[in-house]
Amino acid sequence: MNGRRIMTADEVRRATVRISHEIVEKQAGTDGLVLVGIQRRGVPLARRIADSIDENEGVRIPVGALDITFYRDDLSLVAQQPVVKGTDLPFDLNGSTVVLVDDVLYTGRTIRAAMDALVDFGRPRAIRLAVLVDRGHRELPIRADHVGKNVPTSREEVVKVRVTEIDGEDGVDLERADDVVAATPLG
Amino acid sequence: MSALAAEVARVGEVGEVVVDLEISRAWLVDPSSGREGPGELVVTDGVIDAVNWLSGDEADGVDDRGIIVAPGFVDLHAHFREPGDEDAETIASGLAAAAHGGFTTVCLMPNTTPALGEPSVLGRVRAAAAASGSPVEVMAYGAVSAGRAGETLAALGELADAGVVGFSDDGLPVRSATLLRSALAYAGMLGLPVVDHPEDASQTDGAEANEGLVATVLGLRGWPSSAEASAVARDLAILADVRADVPGARLHLTHLSTAPALELVRAAKAAGLPVTCDVTPHHLALTDAWLAGWRRFAWDEPWRPGATVEASLYETSVRVNPPLRSVADAAACRAALEDGTADAIATDHAPHTSVAKDVEFGLASNGISGIETALGLLLAAVDAGELSLGRALAALTIGPSRVLGFRPPTVPRGLVEGAPADLVVFDRSDSWTVTAESLASKGKNSPLVGRALPGRVLLTVAGGRLAYNAS
Amino acid sequence: MSLAAPDGTDVRALIPDVPAGDGPDGEKAWRHRHLLDVDVLTWPEIELVLRTADSMREVLARPIARVPALRGATVTILFYEASTRTRVSFELAAKALSADVVNIAAVSSSVAKGESLIDTVRTIEALGASTLVMRHPVSGAPYLAAEHFGGSVINAGDGWHAHPTQALLDLATMRAHLPGGSVAGRKVVILGDVLHSRVARSNLWTLTAAGADVWLCGPATLLRGFEAWAAASAAAGRRFTVTSDVRAAMRDADVVMALRIQRERMEGGLLPSLREYAARFGLTRERLGLARTGALVMHPGPMNEGVEIAPDVASGPGSVIADQVSAGVAIRMALLYLLAGARGSGGSA
Repeated sequence: MNGRRIMTADEVRRATVRISHEIVEKQAGTDGLVLVGIQRRGVPLARRIADSIDENEGVRIPVGALDITFYRDDLSLVAQQPVVKGTDLPFDLNGSTVVLVDDVLYTGRTIRAAMDALVDFGRPRAIRLAVLVDRGHRELPIRADHVGKNVPTSREEVVKVRVTEIDGEDGVDLERADDVVAATPLG
Repeated sequence: MSALAAEVARVGEVGEVVVDLEISRAWLVDPSSGREGPGELVVTDGVIDAVNWLSGDEADGVDDRGIIVAPGFVDLHAHFREPGDEDAETIASGLAAAAHGGFTTVCLMPNTTPALGEPSVLGRVRAAAAASGSPVEVMAYGAVSAGRAGETLAALGELADAGVVGFSDDGLPVRSATLLRSALAYAGMLGLPVVDHPEDASQTDGAEANEGLVATVLGLRGWPSSAEASAVARDLAILADVRADVPGARLHLTHLSTAPALELVRAAKAAGLPVTCDVTPHHLALTDAWLAGWRRFAWDEPWRPGATVEASLYETSVRVNPPLRSVADAAACRAALEDGTADAIATDHAPHTSVAKDVEFGLASNGISGIETALGLLLAAVDAGELSLGRALAALTIGPSRVLGFRPPTVPRGLVEGAPADLVVFDRSDSWTVTAESLASKGKNSPLVGRALPGRVLLTVAGGRLAYNAS
Repeated sequence: MSLAAPDGTDVRALIPDVPAGDGPDGEKAWRHRHLLDVDVLTWPEIELVLRTADSMREVLARPIARVPALRGATVTILFYEASTRTRVSFELAAKALSADVVNIAAVSSSVAKGESLIDTVRTIEALGASTLVMRHPVSGAPYLAAEHFGGSVINAGDGWHAHPTQALLDLATMRAHLPGGSVAGRKVVILGDVLHSRVARSNLWTLTAAGADVWLCGPATLLRGFEAWAAASAAAGRRFTVTSDVRAAMRDADVVMALRIQRERMEGGLLPSLREYAARFGLTRERLGLARTGALVMHPGPMNEGVEIAPDVASGPGSVIADQVSAGVAIRMALLYLLAGARGSGGSA
């Protein structure tokens, strides 16, 4: 693995805290907020944001997990990534402000798929987006409301987010695509 | 090899008399005299002019692994589908296939449409053979029963007068025991054999594959071994009774495929019954595992349920009557050839159109297009040490002649000076790949398509005229 | 080849949690273009189908039980045998994935009255179907279809040979209800007309691969050929038992699967009468009492209540027959989804 670290563990932590403040600021409070993490790594990030909001506001925002595997527009990925990790939305979406949380924003197709999925569960009042890294190269008119770090990248590169809950450490690396088994085109 | 190539370039066109052919330094095999070894052979104006057996220094370097010359093969059992199903095969295409396989005489089964139950149909067959220009000799069996319906006797006497070599209802068994008895008696009176396809049809209703492990795993209706054994036992018991009245009665059992049936014939012969039998190349070399996508010869590694699939399952090119059997049955066929229980190899060449074969397995017609691949399968067995070359070639030449009762002009079948040239030259050190294009038969229904077989026929000469030339 | 655990250990323990695979997260990819039989599935592939089916169950539990995964794809259901239950199950599965469904009830004929199977399959492909779900009375027919169809073929039952989706849903149902969630080491009895049963054959493959202690039980005429298979299988390390002794089979069983007995078997001379079958082999409350307490009762359907299974057993405690039906939709969704991925065809616009 030859990549370079573009966010250290501390930087990830600070970005997560800042994003949690921004979310509350934009909402002018915590009423009606729900966080929905996009599988896989968006889920632990959403939980951390909820923890941070709890620390600062004393309010526990509901957190859900959304698997967009069945909403992707490219079936050729199924062979590579067939396994589904599961959707769990234990709250009523209707009238709520959903903040989608994901690790990397890239083409925008994952977010489009996530919005498709959400509307099958109910009708939110608003949907916002928080991402740890925005790497550019959007293919759809999608933008994030809250960004941890903007990282200009080329298409041959891969942004690899690592979270302790899954990878054993926190950090973000920029790697060359041919070093990784398959670059994730969705982002 | 190159010397031979130069010689064959001069033999002329298919159908013409072979004016001048010299084969030097080849392995000659003459089953009728029992002799084989290095030799030379000269054909002049369609007649074997000289046969010189070499010895000493001259014989150095010539063995039975290179060019081999044998008498032309005789197929006791082939289906050429004309008249009635010319899309599957015509007499002309069948004879071309026969010559490609090294056969100079073929005996055609009467299950055409109309059936060969009266002399006029035999006339049509002969006319078609003559019109084809092929020098391969065509013989035919007359039907045993009128219309092959199994109820009354066909015009056996008239057919005999017209020149059939025996009687058979093949495709079907002679279902009625009493009719078989009458046929054996009447045919015996005429000096001709009855050729029975031994199958107890009540046990094989809807059967798809040999009853055994493969059929169980693949969910196919079983074709029990007992259906063949019980039919053979019945036929032999009837033959034993008929013999008392008609000493000349003769029975030939065709395409035996199971160990128990062959054992019954072995015992019957030992008891002196006038019975003969043949086995097919596919029954001695292939097994029912081919249905499960396992493409090994019967003497190679056996199949087990769950083994890695090597080819498509349920390929209809392996669907045949009698079905491909077990490893033990195939071994019994080879052993029967070796010890003489089986008198001959017959191909049961059964071409079919793709309309008849490219359907669901249980709905496909039975039959393998096998006249061109017979030699290759036998040589594969010989190469594996499962059969001796001498027995294999005898079973293709002198064996069938004996079954036919040495009817002229098939006799003498030998490399004899003064006899009309009737021979096959093949190169055992070479091979050929079976493809739809390389098969001369219209029937491409062979499980060996895509496979390379040992041995390549270079030249076939029938009755002094060129039948096939590989160059 | 499937992994077997002849000594009854849970085969999942043999497989690393994250096997070296093809996906970026290390998950095993699905590589089969067709599903013709379960005998070619490896254990990780079976696990993948079951896990995917779990997610599909979650989808089916939603207020809108639909995902767009197969939007724009056409699934053609070609049944040469009448079957309401399986056909509807596949139809619901395809629709839950937003695929378009075309139903063809064809007639199988050896006389060339209708179109040949190959021509039918080619026509279906020309009309844009990407997946063909096929049921046919002749064993091996889906293999012929697969050779001539450019998309994916799912075998919904061929003659006596295989019913792969049934075996998978049966396995899913057993694991959902057995304590410990595993069939390894459990005694599973398949009771009835084994000879003519594609359900029995396919379940035999999956259950022996899963390490279950499988017993095949029925009248001797309907077990023809299976003793030889058991012997060959034992030599390969996959043991199962074949017996006509119902009491021995039922004793301490964890799962009993009853198979349908058809009237034709009597007419074919294989059974004296259905009454006699019911008396000697029917799954009655009394016979079920020999099994473990809480043993599962299963049946692929449709049932002949009073023949192979008593009515009070079919609807009694322990019966998971209804769960088999719901598991069926989820399993079929999972397979349609995985096969679409193996084709790599772009789904929706």
